[in-house]
Amino acid sequence: MKVLVLTEQKLMEFLASARTAYDVRVPVSLHDGTRVIGRLGEGPLAIKGGAINQKITSIFFPHMETVLKCSNGGFESPEPAPKPMLVVGFTKQDADCLEFIDRFYNDKFRDDVYFNKRDNAVIVCVSGRCGANGKLLKVSGDNCDMELICDGQDYIVRAYTDVGKSLIEDIGSTEIVPEETLEQIEKESDQLCVEGLDLLNAASKLLLEDKVPDEFWQSISDRCIACTSCNLACPTCTCFDVFDRTNGCGIDRWRIWDSCQLDGFMREASGHNPMGQELIRTRRRIHHKLAADVTRWGHITCYQCGRCDNVCPTGIGIMSVCKEMVEKYG
Amino acid sequence: MVSKGLSTSLPQPQKPLYEPFSCEVTAIKELTHTEKLFRLNRLDGLPFSHKPGQFVQVSIPGSGEAPISVSSSTTRGDYLELAVRKVGSLTAVMHQLNVGSKIGLRGPFGSSFDTKSMKNHDLLLISGGCGLAPMRSLIQFVEDRRDDFGRSTIFYGAKSPEDVMYKTELEDWANGDAFTCRVTVDNVSGGTCWDGQTGLITNLVEAADIDVGKTIAVIVGPPVMYKHVIVKLKDKGVSDDQIIVSLERYMKCGSGKCGHCTIEHLYCCIDGPVFRYDKIKELKGAL
Repeated sequence: MKVLVLTEQKLMEFLASARTAYDVRVPVSLHDGTRVIGRLGEGPLAIKGGAINQKITSIFFPHMETVLKCSNGGFESPEPAPKPMLVVGFTKQDADCLEFIDRFYNDKFRDDVYFNKRDNAVIVCVSGRCGANGKLLKVSGDNCDMELICDGQDYIVRAYTDVGKSLIEDIGSTEIVPEETLEQIEKESDQLCVEGLDLLNAASKLLLEDKVPDEFWQSISDRCIACTSCNLACPTCTCFDVFDRTNGCGIDRWRIWDSCQLDGFMREASGHNPMGQELIRTRRRIHHKLAADVTRWGHITCYQCGRCDNVCPTGIGIMSVCKEMVEKYG
Repeated sequence: MVSKGLSTSLPQPQKPLYEPFSCEVTAIKELTHTEKLFRLNRLDGLPFSHKPGQFVQVSIPGSGEAPISVSSSTTRGDYLELAVRKVGSLTAVMHQLNVGSKIGLRGPFGSSFDTKSMKNHDLLLISGGCGLAPMRSLIQFVEDRRDDFGRSTIFYGAKSPEDVMYKTELEDWANGDAFTCRVTVDNVSGGTCWDGQTGLITNLVEAADIDVGKTIAVIVGPPVMYKHVIVKLKDKGVSDDQIIVSLERYMKCGSGKCGHCTIEHLYCCIDGPVFRYDKIKELKGAL
């Protein structure tokens, strides 16, 4: 059995051709070296290098977006984009995050503003020997439409859904290499450590059993500067605020990311504030993903992407907090 | 083609989630110096279909949205009433509205008082401050289905005589056959005419004659009120599953998305705002 392989040049050609049917988004390198998800051509292709630092789900839940247009006494909802998106650059963890927030935004009330972008979008994961500092990125498997598994230089292409398979057909003739390389990468991927998950599970158990006292949260919150970086980087943070803004011909209603680490997050006009203490807010950030969501959704909603730990200026990202928690109370 | 993570069998919405429907203000009544009652009709002619205890998202372009409890029962007709305290930017704009003004509404949202399980029970309806606004939707429902319920008692507490909402209706409820109605105010300032009871609402509960075996107590009021009233009810033998509370949070979406009304794993806007006390008493920050 053989597998399809694309060189980066061939991949570029494939992505360029996909633009006729899709709004193609790929990891690109900005002038300062930052890797972000952008449009093809906005910067050099930067697929290699590991997870993108930005909140990857911002593709479908952007920092700010219009949810309603108001003019002449009437209301109008935003239309779906003319082309569906094809997004390259999700890691396995990122795809897991996306799968969760798909369910979240569809639960009970379907969030059409989110699904205007998400419906029909094609998710292309990146894995294999292209992580930061040469690390192996875990192979995603079938939690995406298509996967690019890097062998260190080129990309082995796998499709999991009908749309992914039809895209592969569009690629046409490509180099075909023996499957041994893929088998070796998958074997190494399977051996990637699960220490992080064990730690999260241990912390989750402590929280569900209510074994973490307020003193712990106080000690963590004393180190929080409420910069909100954790929430802004987290792919499964979905909270938003809503505000109106006047434009030239009417009023737009926007939603904007909000952070549970801010004092005003839950404050009511009356002054009542259920999260008026910083320790309550700090607890909420961790408890929500490791305990509240376990009760509600049946699983932890942190997928160990590492973004909050990477961006937190005071070292209290979720993994750091869990490590401290488990050491003290586990 | 739908990509992974999405099920094609998922329910599709009838209407965009954040799009309000238009309503016309058909009547405005001043309830207190800070509260007004607005009666609304839908311009599209559709029914509001709300249940006692639910809320709506009031939408005023330029001022945003705010969650407001429904203060009327559908048993009174095909309209909806909102008692609005002037306390924030949107409610300040609402207080400037006139009869004939148009506003947007989304909803109704949230859980309601379970009037089916309340049937044949004595009801103890305890509200404080503007908590009487959502409670009024239940009071009207009970009044209009009188034969379905046992002995019904209304306890209402306000800060001062000036803050008492629905003064005429409270008098009607006190003088009518449907309810026993008691009103108390915390303080009476000098020169104020008040011949009613003075003191905290807990005093009314303490003095209440409750048939513990067949009573359901409903509490709606300011956050500080719940714990104290619940202690008094439990002293009288009312069990946790006989106590219903309606909790106040600032819902920004009404649909379990924005995250502003979470109480541990619950979302006040879709799982509440009406909860049975035994279901939330262990949740940190619920009360």
